Amino acid sequence: MSIKEYLKDRTVFLLINFTLYIIISGILLLININSKVILLTFCIWFFPILVYIMIEYVKQKLLYNELNHIMDHLDKKYLLTEIMKKPENIEGKLLYDVLRRANKDMHEHVNNYRDRENEYREYIETWIHEIKTPIASTRLIIENNQNGITRNIKEEVKKIEEYIEQVLYYSRSNNVSKDYLIKEVSLADLVKRVIKRNSRDFISKGIIIDIEAVEGTVYSDAKWLEFIVNQVIGNATKYNREHDGRVTISTDRNENNIVLTIEDNGIGIIDKDISRVFEKGFTGENGREIGKSTGLGLYLCKKLAEQLGLGLIITSKMGEGTRVKLIFPLGSVNLMH
Amino acid sequence: MSKIVIIEDTEKIREELKTFLIRYGYEAVAPINFENIINDTLKEEPNLILLDINLPIYDGYYICREIRKISDVPIIVVTSRDTEMDELMSMNIGADDFVTKPYNTQILLARIETILRRVQGSNIRDTLIYNDLKLNLSNGSVTYKGKVAELTKNEIKIITCLYKYKGKIVSRDDLMDFMWNADVFVDDNNLSVNVARLRKKLEGLGMQKNIETRRGLGYILP
Repeated sequence: MSIKEYLKDRTVFLLINFTLYIIISGILLLININSKVILLTFCIWFFPILVYIMIEYVKQKLLYNELNHIMDHLDKKYLLTEIMKKPENIEGKLLYDVLRRANKDMHEHVNNYRDRENEYREYIETWIHEIKTPIASTRLIIENNQNGITRNIKEEVKKIEEYIEQVLYYSRSNNVSKDYLIKEVSLADLVKRVIKRNSRDFISKGIIIDIEAVEGTVYSDAKWLEFIVNQVIGNATKYNREHDGRVTISTDRNENNIVLTIEDNGIGIIDKDISRVFEKGFTGENGREIGKSTGLGLYLCKKLAEQLGLGLIITSKMGEGTRVKLIFPLGSVNLMH
Repeated sequence: MSKIVIIEDTEKIREELKTFLIRYGYEAVAPINFENIINDTLKEEPNLILLDINLPIYDGYYICREIRKISDVPIIVVTSRDTEMDELMSMNIGADDFVTKPYNTQILLARIETILRRVQGSNIRDTLIYNDLKLNLSNGSVTYKGKVAELTKNEIKIITCLYKYKGKIVSRDDLMDFMWNADVFVDDNNLSVNVARLRKKLEGLGMQKNIETRRGLGYILP
């Protein structure tokens, strides 16, 4: 707020005073009063007005400077009314009250959405737990009636389960804190569990698996970790070659991290796609060609990895294979010794 | 024969699980009435209990705690709640293991076996006998009419799987599934090689009629 702007706001007031002064000076001139007296009248008239305007300007300037300062440093801007001093003049008080009321209404609005989101999330989680019961009985029925048909159904049921798991982790991905339990996780056990989950794909595609070099333990949430590794290994089998497919998993212990590397010799990812694989809904060339890609898997992996404080890096060469690195920083929460 | 009580309120799962366990040589009981479930269960004197968490009248956690006050019978909690917290909770109230629905049936079976072996001492399932062939799991050897041969890890898994099916054909896929579930990630060629070696070892013991290949179907131990 500059002095010019401020004065502009007071143009009407100043104009009225000038007009009045000119009229009165006219009258004074007509009745032959000394022009010095007229000049003195001007000073007596306008000096207090100018002083008043200056004082008001400084006051206002200070007030708005402070507000701007608070605004700039406030993380959640809408908390302004909680932090600012309550103004003492009538205009300020009115505005302050109006602002508070608007804020309160906005809070209610936001709460309404938050409640709705939580409700939806809870519903999704309940739904997931409920649908697992019929899936469990389907699996048992298949197990008790093994033949070519049920074997096919079993494969499809497995896919349904994968999609359901994705929904569950998607709904959880926004607040990890709720079901999060850090404990010691053996990387070899973790990798073996995931390979077993994907065993059908490895066996049917004849993909050779090498996990000789997996060792060590990290501190993290086993379930979330399993989800991430499962997505990555799932991709390694899905985007593999027809013959001589190979997936190599290894761990490296560096000075300040442990790296779990999952490498395949599959079709690879084209250069222009590689930077976008973590984007939500991005399917790319491979997704289009092979199909069955939701564009959510790696997006969720990245999101969950970030929440767990892990690094996730993907590199690839078209036609040669893809390498995914999951990085567990040492010395932080992820590794306590 | 080990007796397993299934505490589960979904009728389909209860019945199918019962059929499944009976097929694998267990005695399975599945109570339908949940009003006196704790007493009913203990009256059966089971060797192991499979316990669901979401149940009518009393929930699984309560049942588990009550049973623990009276008995040390092994309990495996089977639930669709799958967070680490639920697992921790189950362990805290004295369950021996925790399996999430929808479970891989082979894994469930493996867990049951492990717990039973631990509780009943190692003598129960350490030796498998079929016809004249005796398989000793504790030192990985087979005995046929007094002659002994050492087996490798992979060979043991193959013969254990064939034993399970006792005289029925095991498809290559099922055999592979079994191996992979036991942390042996063999590929197709490897499996053929392993089976061939195993067959040779058995022949070396003088067992002429051992593992047979049924083209397009799988293997059988007649």
